[in-house]
Amino acid sequence: MRRLLAALVLPSLLTGALAACGDAEEARKAMTVRVLVRDINIRPAGVECAGTGPYTHFHNRAPFRVVDTGGRTLAEGALSPGRSVATFAEDLEVSRVPTYCEFAVPVDLAARDAYRLVVDGHPPVDLTPNDSEGPALVAVVPS
Amino acid sequence: MTRGYAVRLAAIALAAALAATGCSGGDEAPAPPVAGGAAALPGPAPAGLGLRPAPSGAPGAPAVTGALTDGSPVALADLWADRPVVLVFFTSWCTLCADRQAALSELARRHRDEVVLVGVVTEDRPEDVQRYLREHRVGYPVVLDADGAIWRSYAVREPPAVVVVAKGGALLRGWPGGVDAPTLDAELRKLVLPA
Repeated sequence: MRRLLAALVLPSLLTGALAACGDAEEARKAMTVRVLVRDINIRPAGVECAGTGPYTHFHNRAPFRVVDTGGRTLAEGALSPGRSVATFAEDLEVSRVPTYCEFAVPVDLAARDAYRLVVDGHPPVDLTPNDSEGPALVAVVPS
Repeated sequence: MTRGYAVRLAAIALAAALAATGCSGGDEAPAPPVAGGAAALPGPAPAGLGLRPAPSGAPGAPAVTGALTDGSPVALADLWADRPVVLVFFTSWCTLCADRQAALSELARRHRDEVVLVGVVTEDRPEDVQRYLREHRVGYPVVLDADGAIWRSYAVREPPAVVVVAKGGALLRGWPGGVDAPTLDAELRKLVLPA
């Protein structure tokens, strides 16, 4: 019985230990994932927002994963509320203007050639490195 | 492994499982009613309820049907047949909704039976909605708009939003982005004539 127990339990223990070692050895870098959802919704600029129309899955507390090209999860968490940004620089002299909804979440990621973002099980979105405002991976939806 | 050791191990595992599920061996308290369900529907409108007539030419509100949080069917037209209805479009993850909810819940209690508030929620999980309704003491019925059809029929694109419908179904007023309770209260006082 003890042999049987050992045969059943040891492989999973070893797998877990090896996986933990693998993760521990891999250097990670703190960066920000930024997603601009171009839903062109009419709202005040600079207020909390969520994606609208086909992008309603982009919202506060929506689960997300950052994956590599092989689909392996590198980071996961929940989105913070989006922030509305005006689509035009012109002053339209009204309080509610055409806006996009931008999300930003901090992540720690191991180095990979490419990254993709999966939000609440929806199809992945390609992320592009952009260090113009600090280390970041950015996406524009729709691209 | 001896038989006695195996039995002790099984007993420990069972005890741990029971502790984890919070089972107390048949001494369970009755489950609370589902918040936002049929029990939250209003009673009859007060006899002699005086209402200001809706302006002529006001468009009709979409007379949609849906299911409350407990699965009970509801038709908005049945609710506005004898009193005004306020539709509150919200989600549990909307922080502005949460910020304003306590005052809206209190407003609903104050106007209970004269005006019906109805929550409409989409893009959310039922368990999160229940947590939100209990945390913010929401006492009015709530429709789970799973596919967002009711939101779309009222052209609501994101939470919060509030819509006022007159008795009979005339669409009176809408606030995309929501409205604070004092402003909504003032609007309702224009509708309901003093007794």
